[in-house]
Amino acid sequence: MYNNYGASYQEQRLQQMMEQKQLKDFMRMYSNLVSRCFDDCVADFTSNTLNDKELTCVNRCTQKNMKLNERIGQRFAEENAKLMEDQAKMGR
Amino acid sequence: MFGGVFGGGSQKPAGQMAPGGMGGGMGGGMGQAQMDPNAQLAAAEQEMEMVTDMFARLGDLCYRKCLIQRYSDEELTKAESVCTDRCVAKYFQVNREVSEKLAKLSQTN
Repeated sequence: MYNNYGASYQEQRLQQMMEQKQLKDFMRMYSNLVSRCFDDCVADFTSNTLNDKELTCVNRCTQKNMKLNERIGQRFAEENAKLMEDQAKMGR
Repeated sequence: MFGGVFGGGSQKPAGQMAPGGMGGGMGGGMGQAQMDPNAQLAAAEQEMEMVTDMFARLGDLCYRKCLIQRYSDEELTKAESVCTDRCVAKYFQVNREVSEKLAKLSQTN
């Protein structure tokens, strides 16, 4: 074989890499979500605390975007499965 | 993992679904038996990077195009849901179209 490491070591490395990517991606999505909800909901600077309307908006924004992402994830997985099927058919 | 799909309220990174669904993922076509493990890892990493990026773009694009009424409700409206489904489907189609055109162009060169 071409290495001294067992398959499980490689798996471990892959796992670690995936976890790191996952974390990094989560942090990025979180930041983007905050920016987005701020941008969409906050316009009143007569006070330094969020008013009721803004709070409600932020709550809805968070929920809605989370649900949007969830749905995109579902469709993405479906489309990707189709894509892979097509690739397999083409013998790639 | 990638994609940032926030499973409603859970702590886990949203991308759980997408990557899970693609575990062996788009790399299915690679001849993994011939590749040295480091190259394999690098290839897997790159692919994951690409998928994450695609997912993020989808999130942004479909948000801009489909969430018009912000924010009347916590739930996605029926219109928004349908729009999202179509958004993803069309994005993938565009992806295929562009790939094909690019492949053709590079062949003629």
